[in-house]
Amino acid sequence: MLEVINLHKKFSNLHVLKGINTEIKKGEVVVVIGPSGSGKSTFLRCLNLLEVPTQGEIIFEGVSITSKKNNINLQRQKMGMVFQQFNLFPHMTVLENITLSPVKVKKMDVQKAREIAIALLKRIGLEDKAKAYPKQLSGGQQQRIAIVRALAMSPDVMLFDEPTSALDPEMVGEVLDVMKNLAKEGMTMVVVTHEMGFAREVGDRVLFMDEGVIAEEGNPEEIFSSPKNERTKAFLGKVL
Amino acid sequence: MKFAFIKNYYPFFLNGVKNTILLAFFAVLFGVFIGLFFSLMKLSKFKVFKVISSAYIEFIRGTPLMVQIFIIYYGLDRIGIKFPDIPALDPILGVDFADFMAGIITLSINSGAYVAEIIRAGIQAVDTGQMEAARSLGMSYFTAMVYIIIPQAFRNILPALGNEFIVVIKESSIVSVIGIADLMYSTQIIRGITYMPMEPLLVAAAIYFIITFSLSKLLGVFERRLRAGA
Repeated sequence: MLEVINLHKKFSNLHVLKGINTEIKKGEVVVVIGPSGSGKSTFLRCLNLLEVPTQGEIIFEGVSITSKKNNINLQRQKMGMVFQQFNLFPHMTVLENITLSPVKVKKMDVQKAREIAIALLKRIGLEDKAKAYPKQLSGGQQQRIAIVRALAMSPDVMLFDEPTSALDPEMVGEVLDVMKNLAKEGMTMVVVTHEMGFAREVGDRVLFMDEGVIAEEGNPEEIFSSPKNERTKAFLGKVL
Repeated sequence: MKFAFIKNYYPFFLNGVKNTILLAFFAVLFGVFIGLFFSLMKLSKFKVFKVISSAYIEFIRGTPLMVQIFIIYYGLDRIGIKFPDIPALDPILGVDFADFMAGIITLSINSGAYVAEIIRAGIQAVDTGQMEAARSLGMSYFTAMVYIIIPQAFRNILPALGNEFIVVIKESSIVSVIGIADLMYSTQIIRGITYMPMEPLLVAAAIYFIITFSLSKLLGVFERRLRAGA
C-alpha cells in the first residue's frame, strides 16, 4: 500500500536520508528504531510529504504522491499522523479538534462527525472530556485524543512520530495500549519510537535506521535476539 | 479658565466625536483586512508577493501620515481618481462624503502597514506543529490558516492590535487638515469662534482620553475572556 523507492532528503548540505527503499503492506505494523539523528523522523515525515523528498518516489495506494501534479491533500486524508508534541489545537475543545477535519475537509455532516467522535472517545474512555480544552488534559490524554483525531478521518495508514517521547513515564502505557489495540484491529501503522518493548511485542517488522539508511530490517525476533549488523548490535546494546 | 462655552458649542464637539469614531472604526476595520492580506503576502513563498508587501509596508512606515493624506486627497484627484459623492450622507457627516472617504482610505492604508507587521509576527509565533497537524489531517494551507493558525495568532496579537486601534484614534486627528469635521477640526472651529486658545483643546484632549482609555479597558476585559476560554 505504501512503497518507498530510493528516497533521499537533504537539508541544505546535510544529507539526512541516503536512499531508503521499503514497502509497507496493508495491515502491517512497521516499527522504525535507531539512534537520534539517524533520519527516522525525517523518513516518517516524508511519507505524507510534511518534508518534501529531495529525490526518490513514494507510491501510496497506487498513486505517486511525490509527483508534481499530485494533490497531497487527498492522500493525507487517508494517512493519519500522530506527533511527539501532540499538536492538538489549543483554541478548540476536544470535540472540535476531532470533528474539524471530517467536517471541513471531508464535508461530513456535523452531527455525523460528532457521533463518530463520541464513539471514538468512548473507545479510549475519554468521552467525558469532549467539552474540555487540550490544556486541561494530561499529556497522555492529549496524545490519545490526537490519535483519535487522526482516526476520525478513517485513515488507511497511521504514522506515529515518537508518540510517547514527550510523556511522563506513567502515561506512556495508556498511549501504547491505544496503539496496541489499533494494531490488533488490523490498522496499517508506521511507528517511530524508542519503546523497544512495543517494537518487540506489536511490530510485524522492525526497521533499524542509522546514518540515513535502513541498516537492518526483519521481524522483531530476528532484530532483537540475533541482530546481524554491527551498528544494530551496538545500538541495542545501549538501549536494552 | 472658563468652560462655559461648552454649553453653547457642545454640538460641535459631539459631531466631531461622532466623525472621529466613525473614521477610526472604519480605518481599523479596513486596516485589519489590508494588514491580514499583506501579512499573508509577506509570508507567501512567492517572491513577487513578498517584495510587493515589503515595499508597501516600508513605504508607509517610512513616510509621514500627513504626506500620505495629502497624496491621497490632492494627488489622486489630480490623476483623475475621484471618490463618488453620496450627497445623502453629507448632512449626517457634516462633511463631503468624498472627503470622508479620502480620510478613511488614508488611515486604513496607513494602519494596514502596521497591522500587517503585527499579524505577521503573530502568525510566526504560532507553533509550526499546528500547521503540520492541520495539514496532516488533509486540510489545505488556506483551511489551516483560517481555522487553526489565524485564530491562535489573533489571540497572541490582541494586545498589540488594541494598541494600534488606540493609535488610529489619535492619529485620525490628522484628517482635520483636509477639512473633515472630526473632533480636532471641530475644536479648531470652536477656538476660532470663541477666541479661546486653550480651553477647547483641553476639552478635546479629555474627550480623546476618555475614548482611548475606555477602549483600552474594554480590550483588557476582552483579552481576559479569551484567555479564560482556553
